[in-house]
Amino acid sequence: MKAKNVMIIGGGIAGMTAAWELAEAGLNVDLVEKSGFLGGHAIQYTCKATAECLQCGACSVEKMLKDVVGNDKINVLLSTEIENIEKNNGYSIKIKKSAAFIDGKKCTNCGICFDKLKENEVIIQGYSKNNAPLYAVNREKIDENKIALKDVCPEGAISVSDKASYEDLTADAIVVATGFDPFNPERKGTYGYAKFSNVISGLELERIKRQSGFPARPSDGQAAQKIAFIQCVGSRDENLGNLWCSQVCCPYALRTAESLKHKNPDLDITVFYMDIQNTGKSFPEFYETCKNDIRFIRSIPVDIFPAENDNLNMRLFDEAQGTTTMETFDLVVLSIGIMPNSENEKLSTQMDIALDADGFFKNSEGLNKTSTSNDDIFIAGTAQGPKNIAASMAHAGQAASGVLKYLGVTK
Amino acid sequence: MNTNTKLQTDMEKIDMATDIAVIGGGYIGLKAASRISESGYNVILAPQHNDTDLNFSILDVPLTEMDRIKALETEVANNTNVEILPMSTLVEAKGVPGDFTLKFVSADTVLEKKAGAVVVATDTAVNPLNHIYGLNPAPNVVSLSEFENLLASEETKKEIQNNEKTVAFLVGFAHEGSPLLMKRVLNSVSELVGMDGCSAYVYVNNIKVADDGLERLYKQCRDNGTIYFKLQKAPTIIQENENLSVTFHDPVIRNDIELNPDIIVYEESLIADKTNLSLAETLRIDPGPMGFLQKENVHRLPVNSNREGIFVVGSARDVQGLSKSWIDVDNMVLRVKQLIGDGTKSISTKAVVDREKCTICLTCYRCCPHGAISWDDKAIISSLACQGCGICASECPMEAIQLIDFTDAEMTERIKEAAAVEAPNAPKIVAFCCQNSAYEAGMAAKAFNYELPAGLQLIKVPCAGKVDIHYILDALVEGADGVLVLACHHGNCKSESGNTYAQWRINDAYRKLAQIGIEKDCLEFATLASNMANDFARIVIDMEKRIGQKKD
Ligand SMILES: Cc1cc2nc3c(=O)[nH]c(=O)nc-3n(C[C@H](O)[C@H](O)[C@H](O)COP(=O)(O)OP(=O)(O)OC[C@H]3O[C@@H](n4cnc5c(N)ncnc54)[C@H](O)[C@@H]3O)c2cc1C
Ligand code: SF4
Ligand code: SF4
Ligand code: SF4
Repeated sequence: MKAKNVMIIGGGIAGMTAAWELAEAGLNVDLVEKSGFLGGHAIQYTCKATAECLQCGACSVEKMLKDVVGNDKINVLLSTEIENIEKNNGYSIKIKKSAAFIDGKKCTNCGICFDKLKENEVIIQGYSKNNAPLYAVNREKIDENKIALKDVCPEGAISVSDKASYEDLTADAIVVATGFDPFNPERKGTYGYAKFSNVISGLELERIKRQSGFPARPSDGQAAQKIAFIQCVGSRDENLGNLWCSQVCCPYALRTAESLKHKNPDLDITVFYMDIQNTGKSFPEFYETCKNDIRFIRSIPVDIFPAENDNLNMRLFDEAQGTTTMETFDLVVLSIGIMPNSENEKLSTQMDIALDADGFFKNSEGLNKTSTSNDDIFIAGTAQGPKNIAASMAHAGQAASGVLKYLGVTK
Repeated sequence: MNTNTKLQTDMEKIDMATDIAVIGGGYIGLKAASRISESGYNVILAPQHNDTDLNFSILDVPLTEMDRIKALETEVANNTNVEILPMSTLVEAKGVPGDFTLKFVSADTVLEKKAGAVVVATDTAVNPLNHIYGLNPAPNVVSLSEFENLLASEETKKEIQNNEKTVAFLVGFAHEGSPLLMKRVLNSVSELVGMDGCSAYVYVNNIKVADDGLERLYKQCRDNGTIYFKLQKAPTIIQENENLSVTFHDPVIRNDIELNPDIIVYEESLIADKTNLSLAETLRIDPGPMGFLQKENVHRLPVNSNREGIFVVGSARDVQGLSKSWIDVDNMVLRVKQLIGDGTKSISTKAVVDREKCTICLTCYRCCPHGAISWDDKAIISSLACQGCGICASECPMEAIQLIDFTDAEMTERIKEAAAVEAPNAPKIVAFCCQNSAYEAGMAAKAFNYELPAGLQLIKVPCAGKVDIHYILDALVEGADGVLVLACHHGNCKSESGNTYAQWRINDAYRKLAQIGIEKDCLEFATLASNMANDFARIVIDMEKRIGQKKD
């Protein structure tokens, strides 16, 4: 019997997990990833350990990426999108490969393209050493750099064509793991994000800490000494119509704050919040530690004002005094949340599966949140709604389990 | 019996029992039984107590799904591939993955069963927290479960409605709570404010809205008239027979606010099943926080215990409702298939015992974090259970255990080679790196061109727990100026305690070095994660600086 074939759309932690599970069960998997790298958002994250691991899950993504890249039953298609899906006895899927991409079979990870074309910003570097290849073509800059791209690689690993190319694939089942969009904090204008250099998003702090190990201020590269975290940026926001909690931003903010504080006990950290969400089973203990190390203020600031030396001023309400004061911070972190992927609508039409009121993929069965109205299409990870890494992985496992059941693959 | 011998080849063919034991007969256990049998295995289902009596709201079951879930009971009862044992207690569990022998005691009969794998699917229990508020249960002072029951019965619900009751809910002051509890509160509140004349006051600390649909439900209740008082500490409550008073201080208007509800609903906590701890002991698995059966360690997620072939699902491992618990069940099915397959498997041996050297002191049995070791007249390592960490090999006083991929002879050779590499004008540093964390971080530091010492050599080990004290001393004797042992962060060791063993051995080495007058500086233990190339670079550069200065 021919091994069944499953297509997974989206190569973040959810898509990778589903792919790996299905490959382990003996199926062939096509893993389609739009960007030049596997790993999605979570491959960019920092370890948040103090003297001990705080269970943020970031390193699980690293491990899964390694396992997926090393699994020969998984066919990874990078810089690839879905052009068209047709249902006929399974699915016929037309995929669209970007006009310029790096061929992983030829690339030796030498980095020559990256170094030579640094100014053009047309080659980007992966976040993990397990990204294969380690470099990718920035799709936004392809058009103006076609000639430069053609000649730069000594191995001839960069493929450049006039147009995108297409290929037809088939699948017996599909897993949709297209993930989320991080909230764009520019939408909250009064925070001055993108105007004040030391107002950064939680995602940027992840990258900064991963790369340099300390909270380097974008303005001068110096280690911040007084940091404010503002929670719920973009989430739980009626004005924006975002009536959901992103579930991950309290945990990542608190863990990162503790991790930074562990490395530099003099660091002064304030968290502005509405409600603190749990991190896990040990949350009660962890929260007590946090309360000792961090100042918690239960109100969300409305404005951020520029101050000298690229510092930032914020007004805070002092509950004990019942008064308002102005305070200065040298770095402000906006704890941005999980928004539905802006392509969900297009994907939902392509596959004829529904979205929920918030714009995430809707599960058709109350208790199984991987189910869709098509019994051969499954949802995995944050495509269905906010989730942390561990929950995205478990959800993807359930989707894989559902695929196996649907395809009749038993022991 | 799969016995390791000195002559053993690397591959071992193993026949496994394909029956799977499920402990716990609630809706999680039933689902587990159903899904396992759908995957082609027979199931032995061992209910612990009257598991399906559990209140549906506690498991967070949507009303629309109730019938489907109840149908599981008949489905499993009629499933010829599921053997349902009488209510029983697991008193003994012997053997290895693929070949467990379980002893259940039911009334006065003993049942012995063979199973390839064991799934623990115990339920959660409810713990009322009135005492923390100093409240005495009364008709007008009830727990959340009791209030749910009042709303569930038409008669009592009418009574609440007809008397236009004002109800105060207390949430999050006695303990932090969870989205699961919050959802139950909000469901009750929602129903209450939907009844003409009734009103709800919710005194709440952190509103736990971190689950699908909860923020929406919370706002909906507010729009329907629910009043939330978000407080940092519990309000002052006076309970005098019929009369109830709830008071708190409002910091904005700087005034006390007192209300007199007709009913107070106090919170509960969801706690681990009372049988969990004895199950953990019998099955030799590590219990986690608050009596749940999984340690906080990302390597265990979602459904692994520290022992291969013993899986923990649903509320056995954490506070979880049915939807999340069933995610666990589906993941468990994947793990069972991966382990048992069709019942036969060729597996490469990771560790072998030299039966001539073994004096059966049982050090290995005690230190193996994965419960992989048993014995006949000598120690035996189960190839299926062994994770190849090498802790046993490093702890065995007779040096009777060798890892196939990391034999002592090979390690000595690697150490010699590493210490022999000369880098001009730079101190020689040998770093023993756990393959799960530090080795990955080190390779990443190289790939991303972080500045690294010229004289740095990495030696990959399966787990920091495999770094013998000999290795450290050998490296120094062979000419290394500095030795690093780089392990996973505490709580992130795949073998749970490999990093702790490594740290003990370093301390031991410090003592030995002190005796011969060598300073501590040349030896360091540190912990790392695989994704932290930066931390890796910092640690090795720091050591280079320290010992470099000494050398000058
Ligand atoms: C700032 C921040 C910090 C966080 N920190 C933590 C943390 O510390 N711990 C934790 O557990 N969780 C954390 N999270 C949550 C974590 O990011 C998510 O749980 C996780 O990334 C979800 O994985 P996913 O695969 O569902 O989605 P994604 O990571 O978004 O991956 C989706 C993938 O699909 C691809 N894709 C999208 N559309 C298409 C398409 N049309 N065709 C093909 N491919 C497509 C994308 O390029 C991407 O690679 C954090 C979230 C944020 C925003
Ligand atoms: S804190 Fe996060 S990245 Fe670091 S070891 Fe723990 S789980 Fe891994
Ligand atoms: S997790 Fe915390 S910061 Fe994020 S939306 Fe929820 S309450 Fe706000
Ligand atoms: S190598 Fe590790 S897992 Fe294997 S038997 Fe020894 S201690 Fe146990």
